[in-house]
Amino acid sequence: MAEKAFLNLTDVSKAFAGVQALAQVCIEVRPGEVVGLVGENGAGKSTLMRILAGVYRPDSGTLLLDGRPLVLHSPREANLQGIGIVFQEQSLLPNLTVAENIYLGQEKEFSRWGVISWPALRAAAKRQLEKVQLPIDPATRTAHLSFAERQMVELAKALALEERTERHLVILLDEPTSVLEQREIDILFERVRALRNRASFVFVSHRLDEVLHISDRVYVMKDGKVVAQMPAAETNVPELHRLMVGRELHAEYYREARQREPAKSLVMQAESLTSEGAYRNVDFVLRQGEILGIAGVIGSGREALTRTLFGFLPHSGGKLTVAGKPVRLTSPDQAAALGIGYIPRERRVEGLVLALPIVPNITLASLATVMKRGAIQGSKERQLAESWVEKLRVRTPSVDALCLNLSGGNQQKVVLSKWMNARSKILIFDHPTRGLDVGAKEEVYDLMRTLSEQGMSIILTADTLEETIGLSHSILVMRDGEVTARFDASPGKKPAQVDLIRHMV
Amino acid sequence: MTLKRNYREQIRGLAPLLVLVGLVLVIGVLRPGFLSWDSLVVTVANTAILFILAAGSTFVVMLGSIDLSIQAICSFASVIVAAMLPGYGYVAFPVAVAMGLVTGTVSGLFHVWLRIPSFIVTLATSGLLVSAALLFSHERAISIDEAGRARLAWVTGDFLGLPNVIWVAALVTALGIWSQKYTPFGRYSIAIGAGEPATWASGVRVNRYKVIAFAISGALAALAGVLMAGREGSGSPTLADQLLLPAIAAVIVGGTAITGGAGGIGRTAVGALIITIVRVGMTFIGVDIFAQQIVFGVVLVLAVALTIDRTKIVIVK
Amino acid sequence: MALNQSPATPTIPERGQVTAGPKKKKALSQKSLERIKSLAPLAALLVLSLLIGSQNPRFFDFFNFVRIANSAAIPLVLGLGATFVILLGSVDLSVEGVLALGAVVVAILVHNDMNQNSFGWLAPLFSIIAGAAIGFLNGLIHVKARIPSFMVTLGSWFVGVGLATLILGGTNARILDPGIRDLALTRFLNFPLAVWVSIGVLVVAWLIERFTTFGRHVFAIGGGEDLAALSGIHVDRVKVMVFTLAGAFYGIGGVLAAAQLGQGNATIGDGRLFSTITAVVVGGTSLSGGSGGVLNTLVGVAIIAVLGNGMVLLGLSPDIQQAVQGVIIIIAVAASIDRQRMKFVK
Repeated sequence: MAEKAFLNLTDVSKAFAGVQALAQVCIEVRPGEVVGLVGENGAGKSTLMRILAGVYRPDSGTLLLDGRPLVLHSPREANLQGIGIVFQEQSLLPNLTVAENIYLGQEKEFSRWGVISWPALRAAAKRQLEKVQLPIDPATRTAHLSFAERQMVELAKALALEERTERHLVILLDEPTSVLEQREIDILFERVRALRNRASFVFVSHRLDEVLHISDRVYVMKDGKVVAQMPAAETNVPELHRLMVGRELHAEYYREARQREPAKSLVMQAESLTSEGAYRNVDFVLRQGEILGIAGVIGSGREALTRTLFGFLPHSGGKLTVAGKPVRLTSPDQAAALGIGYIPRERRVEGLVLALPIVPNITLASLATVMKRGAIQGSKERQLAESWVEKLRVRTPSVDALCLNLSGGNQQKVVLSKWMNARSKILIFDHPTRGLDVGAKEEVYDLMRTLSEQGMSIILTADTLEETIGLSHSILVMRDGEVTARFDASPGKKPAQVDLIRHMV
Repeated sequence: MTLKRNYREQIRGLAPLLVLVGLVLVIGVLRPGFLSWDSLVVTVANTAILFILAAGSTFVVMLGSIDLSIQAICSFASVIVAAMLPGYGYVAFPVAVAMGLVTGTVSGLFHVWLRIPSFIVTLATSGLLVSAALLFSHERAISIDEAGRARLAWVTGDFLGLPNVIWVAALVTALGIWSQKYTPFGRYSIAIGAGEPATWASGVRVNRYKVIAFAISGALAALAGVLMAGREGSGSPTLADQLLLPAIAAVIVGGTAITGGAGGIGRTAVGALIITIVRVGMTFIGVDIFAQQIVFGVVLVLAVALTIDRTKIVIVK
Repeated sequence: MALNQSPATPTIPERGQVTAGPKKKKALSQKSLERIKSLAPLAALLVLSLLIGSQNPRFFDFFNFVRIANSAAIPLVLGLGATFVILLGSVDLSVEGVLALGAVVVAILVHNDMNQNSFGWLAPLFSIIAGAAIGFLNGLIHVKARIPSFMVTLGSWFVGVGLATLILGGTNARILDPGIRDLALTRFLNFPLAVWVSIGVLVVAWLIERFTTFGRHVFAIGGGEDLAALSGIHVDRVKVMVFTLAGAFYGIGGVLAAAQLGQGNATIGDGRLFSTITAVVVGGTSLSGGSGGVLNTLVGVAIIAVLGNGMVLLGLSPDIQQAVQGVIIIIAVAASIDRQRMKFVK
């Protein structure tokens, strides 16, 4: 392996709507090297990969490819430079054949005057498929393939770059193994090793043992920065854990002093709750005034579980009990009628009607509270909105301001007031502090403590482990659709992040 | 109309009204007779039916959907009135309106239960109604006899110096504005159009309100048909065929955006008046009545282009 | 048409929408389900034919078959145009207007009873150009002004009808040119020339769909527009071409309609939108785009034509034809498992 780097990122930064996703990241990839990239959810790995793949443009910093500056405006341009990215089968069009997918957008090579030569296209596709040992007919419709097969087609698609350019390739692998069986993982790794003289790889995964197995060097990212870098042979999984999450838990930050023991009565209970294809046999209880945190990486099933509890994704098996009565939540209105509220992850899409002012957004879930004899009372509604805005300290020139114009933190407070006005007894917080600055986050934590003190029960799916541990009374850890651990998170007895990570990845 | 907006939006909201006033003045200058009381009354009366037809669609368009069956409902209502007046008397009117209500409800239910796009569902129901109208009327116009016309006096008559159709239209306007401002249906129609996912995730029974919107669209279209039967003195399966486009144009030109969040019956009234006056103007200039369709087509596209909120549509299909 | 999508820049979708763990082998049953779904329209056609034939054996007469083919000629041409638009995931409501325009253009340009023109075979060419022009405008306004296709084409529908009326100036133009009339009257191998024209259009459409990059790109855009764009496909360009092509096909339909009727008038397209869309949907082309195609539309048109023919043979009033079409389009859409139906339907 030559010493000089083939791909160089220097001081690359990227921010989204006020949140710093990458902060002056420096990474280098040498020819023929496999570089592993690990980090928690939100550490910046995805953003980095997407910048390399041409999907995003960095705000600042430089990219050098083989010594030359690299500016990418689209994945297509990245491809032309020899950079390919393998996603988890999401970048294949299911209604097209495998051959078409492999060469999507590149059909010119196989056509004359706009007319495609199918035999040529199929033969070329077949060659790529052979590289990944996938013995399927390239004329198969992609929708008919299994997830694993699609993953291999994705890899073949990236490897097809080989024929299009003489250059050394850079192949980005984004969580490629989570849908593969062991046999297929072995093939993948074997292929990666075999291609070293032609390509360098960047391998992102939360499966740390695999990362160590295949990589030459490993970068650890945290909060948008690179915190460590070492040869794979010189580290191990526990150390990586520590580097990924090692952060002082500021008890004050999460207002732990305000965490009180919840009441004994149960407001919600799940027994062997199952949703086909998402999670299975989930048991939990939620006590009144409790904050129950659910930890898990993407694909662990916690997102689906959260959606089930508000009626977006009815469960297919097991029993869910709310306020003592067994229910099957088939729609949000049913959940809301039972006193459940939902602070959504996609605040701008599911939390607020952005084009409308604050007033109607606050009463959207509880219009009846401002109605008398069948008519909405405009002035009463306005007063109500004003009192919430004051109570939660929403910073806005007036209650008639469109929610579109509020900052993220203030938008979140309006969402909260909506459910507080609806007198919800159980609130589901789905990534509540996503996209908020530190000050706004602290305000949300304060509000959560207040709600909990007032007897409201909360189910929390947080952005970071730290938040989960700091805020919750109890924690449920999930992996691959099942509950793998439970923790008591009373103040003073909070589990360490490494304890949780062990059950998450 | 009830929800205040910031200044730029407010001016945009007033634009149709300003256009209307401008048009009236321009034509008034070219033809001074136009501004006489009688002439204005006639203009408003001529607008009334188009307005009622369009008023129903307003809620549907506010949701982001479309109702392509209004002209079929309108025509069929006129057929019901013409066919039933001789034998059944006044009961023909509620039957006609009920037909519209039921048709709209059925369209709405198919739309929400079977998740069929509104333009298809309403095309389908319009097909069903066209067939029904053809069968009912044996494929021809049915003229209404003396006795029937007497019963339609409430349509053709005057009250306090204004044609009754204007009073009916005024009533519809008042009810429409009231329901938008004061009823959950009105509130949710705007919310669903402006942000359906958020409305859904706030526990609102979105499907129910969608069905109501289609039901109202059908009922008002039928009412318009009843009024038309009164004015034309006959009912026919093709009576309202040319009214679909002007009705939708009225809604959009009035300022109701198909992206939702803005608009309403009051705006549709302004839009309907603009459409009628543009028509009047074109007739003055001598443009053929069918060719006026071209103008409406262009106007429609322009109006949509101006009122649509493009930040809300990422992928336009 | 799913509006109100998440207002973020279109990126390659977040992983994590994939479910974890126990999901490996669902591909198999999905494939057999799809198989059944794709054969359903053909099966429906066969069942329908058998049902009608069992009640009235004259259905299976050769000359009845000719009649069916003849009644299917124009709907087929129209349906083929609409198919490409629907494959994109868009909608084209302008069928009737463009057809009327095409019919009128050909009627006034050939030897007719209204003016002195006699352009002969050049005239249909102008119809096609007129249709393509409107289609081109549809596509252009749709992509440049980002107005949903159903709005743009709703407008151009009436623009087409209006132009047709304007050109005629309120009268009708009866066609006296024998050449054009031949399309409807002369037979070749027992079938009217119009049928052969429609077959020709079918072949062209099929070749475009199967063998051109343009055709494949239409499917790609329908299957996933943001992905297609990121892969370097010129989405806007393809869309404009699709609408232009559709307009051209509707223009051809107009020529055939004028030939059939013997004259051109502005109402010649009335009611055809509905049967066109019904045929495409019933044939199995998905409204959300990306699946289906020209052969599907052939089956769909056949079903509609057989239905119409059957109703006559069974003595049912033609008045109920639209009602029947209404019912079957609802069944067809409701029965299709569409990606779109998972999102917010407008």
